[in-house]
Amino acid sequence: MTSKRYYLIVIVSLILASVLQLIPTSAAWLPWKPNFLLLMVIGWITFQPNHWGIGFAAFVGFLTDLVFRSPLGLHVFLFVFIGAVPYLLSGWLIYFNVIHRCVLVFILIIFSGFLSNFMYSVWGVPVGYGDVPLGAISSVLIWPLIDRFLVKVHEKRR
Amino acid sequence: MTIHYYTNWFSSIEKLADRSIRPVNWIANIPLRIEGWADLRSTDRSVIEKENLRLKQESLIYRGQLQRMAELAAENLRLRLLLNATELLTDSILVTEVIGVSPSPQSHTLSIDRGLQDGAYVGQPILDAEGLMGQIISVFDNHSVALLITDNTHAIPVQVLRNGMRSIAEGTSDYNNIQLRFLSPTADIREGDELVSSGLGGRFPPGYPVGSVLSIEKIEGKEFLEINVQPAAEIDRSKHLLLVFTSQDGSRNGNVQ
Repeated sequence: MTSKRYYLIVIVSLILASVLQLIPTSAAWLPWKPNFLLLMVIGWITFQPNHWGIGFAAFVGFLTDLVFRSPLGLHVFLFVFIGAVPYLLSGWLIYFNVIHRCVLVFILIIFSGFLSNFMYSVWGVPVGYGDVPLGAISSVLIWPLIDRFLVKVHEKRR
Repeated sequence: MTIHYYTNWFSSIEKLADRSIRPVNWIANIPLRIEGWADLRSTDRSVIEKENLRLKQESLIYRGQLQRMAELAAENLRLRLLLNATELLTDSILVTEVIGVSPSPQSHTLSIDRGLQDGAYVGQPILDAEGLMGQIISVFDNHSVALLITDNTHAIPVQVLRNGMRSIAEGTSDYNNIQLRFLSPTADIREGDELVSSGLGGRFPPGYPVGSVLSIEKIEGKEFLEINVQPAAEIDRSKHLLLVFTSQDGSRNGNVQ
């Protein structure tokens, strides 16, 4: 796979994640909506830690702040914090099977949800901690698809 | 983050982001448009005919009620003139469509397809068929961003329709709940009371439905009642909204576009 094609795949994956994030959802289903952009960050860092690191996580975090209309820096902080975990574990994660990676993603999304809600509660915004596992469950359900896609890209890249 | 949350210093960046994200919003709305189109295509002709008939009948009823309203408005105006009171503002409306919704549960905003070119302005109220939805916070050439009444940074002066008692309704980041503030335990308010905008502050025109009281709770140690209100508007479901222009805005007068 050429570098040009590879970077195009990364850009398209981020655009697609933004589109999926912005698809209007009713209030009842909103807590179930996965954080597609965070999943892409976790995925790319897990499979290509030499290419995509903390800077990439910060960039996508900034993009997410713009998409979510959240205070600038909130998702930068969250994504850098969460992205650092697969970055530090990257030597091992690639040898894990998909179920292990699902467990890791679940833990990371839960942690991200609690951290995000904590940040909002500092500013006095009412938050529902009970909704956090819902987003994590749906994220884990779609993770195998992302995982499979990234494994294929990774294999072709090698 | 804190500076951004409490100030408007980054509004230019937000505006730039809104412009850049609009194509992504447009793409994200494609499934909804396809759903609408498929709904229309798959609906039986007889169902459409029935609905058409029902809408015609409804239109007839509303037109009849409007005539009565016109008579009442004229009578109201005459009485106000007799009392030397100021003239009531007349409102006109512009139909708009939702083109994007904030994906964050903490930020209750939406984008609509009307902007500067249509005369939209910051602070302009928006409503759906049931009641007040919120107000515009950013205007672009051909789209705008509105803050909903359920956003936790939003507050609206309201009054109880039954007795005219005033209060402030604040958003709680819950699409189905807003709360009334600063009402003492002796306040004359009951479950089921209808709330309308009071017009105080001059931002929202008076008399538009805001919601109805869902529950009233007296919490030990707290000075004021905790009153939950169910918004009248279908905050997370309405697709078509109305932009309200009052006669003060000067442009539109008593029209529906």
